[in-house]
Amino acid sequence: MQKIIKDGVIVESDLVWISNSETLADTSADTLKKAIVPLSAWLEMEDKGQVAGIWLESDENTDQLAGKNISALSVIGVHFPAFADGRGFTHARLLRERFGYKGEIRALGNFIPDQLGYLLRVGFSAFQFADEVNLEKALQLHKPFSVAYQSDVADPRPLFLRR
Amino acid sequence: MYQYDAIDQQLVKERVDQFRDQTQRYLNKELSEQEYLPLRLQNGLYVQRYAPMLRIAIPYGMLSSTQLRKLADISRRYDRGYGHFSTRQNLQLNWPKLETVPDILDELAEVEMHAVQTSGNCIRNTTTDQYAGVIADEVVDPRPYCELIRQWSTFHPEFAFLPRKFKIAVNATESSDRAAIQVHDIGLQIKKNAEGEIGFKVIVGGGLGRTPMIGRTICEFVPRAHLLSYLEAILRVYNQFGNRQNKYKARIKILTKALGIEELRSRVEAEWQHLKGKENTVPDAEFDRLQGFFTEPDYKTLTDQPTELTEKLSQSAGFARWYERNTFTHKKSGYRIVTLTLKKAGIAPGDATAEQMDKAADLADKYSFGELRVSHEQNLVLADVEQSQLVELWEAAKEAGFATPSLGLLTDMICCPGGDFCALANAKSIPIAQQIQEKFSDLDYLYDIGELDLNISGCMNACGHHHVGNLGILGVDKKGEEFYQVSIGGNSGHDANIGKILGPSFAEEEIADVIEKIISVYLDNRTQEEKFIDTYQRLGITPFKEAAYAKDN
Repeated sequence: MQKIIKDGVIVESDLVWISNSETLADTSADTLKKAIVPLSAWLEMEDKGQVAGIWLESDENTDQLAGKNISALSVIGVHFPAFADGRGFTHARLLRERFGYKGEIRALGNFIPDQLGYLLRVGFSAFQFADEVNLEKALQLHKPFSVAYQSDVADPRPLFLRR
Repeated sequence: MYQYDAIDQQLVKERVDQFRDQTQRYLNKELSEQEYLPLRLQNGLYVQRYAPMLRIAIPYGMLSSTQLRKLADISRRYDRGYGHFSTRQNLQLNWPKLETVPDILDELAEVEMHAVQTSGNCIRNTTTDQYAGVIADEVVDPRPYCELIRQWSTFHPEFAFLPRKFKIAVNATESSDRAAIQVHDIGLQIKKNAEGEIGFKVIVGGGLGRTPMIGRTICEFVPRAHLLSYLEAILRVYNQFGNRQNKYKARIKILTKALGIEELRSRVEAEWQHLKGKENTVPDAEFDRLQGFFTEPDYKTLTDQPTELTEKLSQSAGFARWYERNTFTHKKSGYRIVTLTLKKAGIAPGDATAEQMDKAADLADKYSFGELRVSHEQNLVLADVEQSQLVELWEAAKEAGFATPSLGLLTDMICCPGGDFCALANAKSIPIAQQIQEKFSDLDYLYDIGELDLNISGCMNACGHHHVGNLGILGVDKKGEEFYQVSIGGNSGHDANIGKILGPSFAEEEIADVIEKIISVYLDNRTQEEKFIDTYQRLGITPFKEAAYAKDN
């Protein structure tokens, strides 16, 4: 079981992140039900309901989800190959604001605890950190600043509409 | 000027606390060098050649005397008693200790200042015309719009890890462009449409660095209500499609070139259609509220050219020279805009000692409603000086070393800190500036040469804007030795142009002589009306090149 931070608490997740499409062929149907599979593999599946979730690479694009039934997915993951690669911030925001996705959006890969404030504001709700990260310490950074100038996923109104 | 409300104050405070914690964790080795790097950069902290460098934001160049005194005080207590005003309306401290930076930021917050996003791959300090609000020919005062952009860009959750840094500048006059908007990632030209509505011509993809480019117009008119959604659309396209493999190809100028302006425009338009008209639409009430921070000071009813002024102008050639070069027409009769130059010979351009900062703050209190501006050309500006007080101010400015009457002339150089301070530099730049200042110290000679921008960068990152100097000097490293490449014909402003490289680079000791040879081609060939750049444009590069490489005998 994988420990993650979800909705502000440390929990065990029974979902398995399949980081590589090649291993997918050997995966049993039972495992698939608990799997977060690559977007490209999912797009090729006939039965799109057979997996728990999908994940996007930073250089993929949410446009590929147009017309797909993503509301049935319990998780959409967004991978950070390096924490300085900020494309995932846009992916999460578009999933929430443009695709209206309400389920878990899970950050995967090499993002760091100090990014949590911004990650939360663009719509991430779960965080599967790299193994070496201390989740207890990360949890202390699990909050944005108490005020914000811009619109974000938590509140679409910029400050000038809230004054 | 803008004043923080409880929310601004709260945010800056939380940011300082956050950075204090990050720095503590870094010092405890809980945060790796690599992880701390972008966090410290987004708080203005570089680790430089000899010491850290802290870059403090002066949003769109506005500074109160209280703030300037605080900067002087900080530079004394945490640094070596001086600071460096940069070309993007920031103040750099060159010798703070890393572990004291959170304390410095705490003290800055007391006077509504910060170092947020002055570095790193995020949206940087928004800059504008140092004469904003006090010149007659601006479309509107650009500062409320700069403040709107400052708030939108500060801690923007989606755009804190862009492919590369992102700089926005705003200009509001047709007659000139003191903010250099065509060499910014986004340049905004404020204008009115046929119906009299305020909006922006949006220029994208300009920039200097190793691939200098003049920006392209992506939209002729974005109504002001839609400015933020349009900016958000550009940033979102850039965040998704900008190059992340190679940092030298990561600026939006490269994306603009790679996609072509038409394709970039259509992607931005497509994104904008999703965003336009939603919550980011700015209501008129917000513009009014922001404008309320930039009201006119308590101007007196005065007449132009009082006798105190005209008498001195006829009596003192030195005063007349200073008046002509270092002061500028104010929109109100009886007032004048005064530039306090930070270009004294022998001093690094843009450097000010703590004593000078205190002195400038005193002058601002006495002569200009307690406010100052910082200019792109690395000078300080007193925007609202009564003409009858100019003589007195001139005397005081001379004493403080602020009255070198060379604004816009060859020795009013833009220059980066260079190899004396900066870890990135290939070569020193300040000694080059000094060499040229010494060569051209004769004021009559300098005035005869007339307006000429000479810009110096210590490496191809181009912080000294050498590409857009009429004459540009670039430090290069050749097998461990410092050489200097000279370019000619660059221009900033509305006629922005990238200079052409003259030819092989020169040794350090040759530079001032080479510049003199180039200048003599101009002096020998100019017509009465021509500035240096005009003669160059008429003659082309050849005669200048021949002169520069001619053997002395």
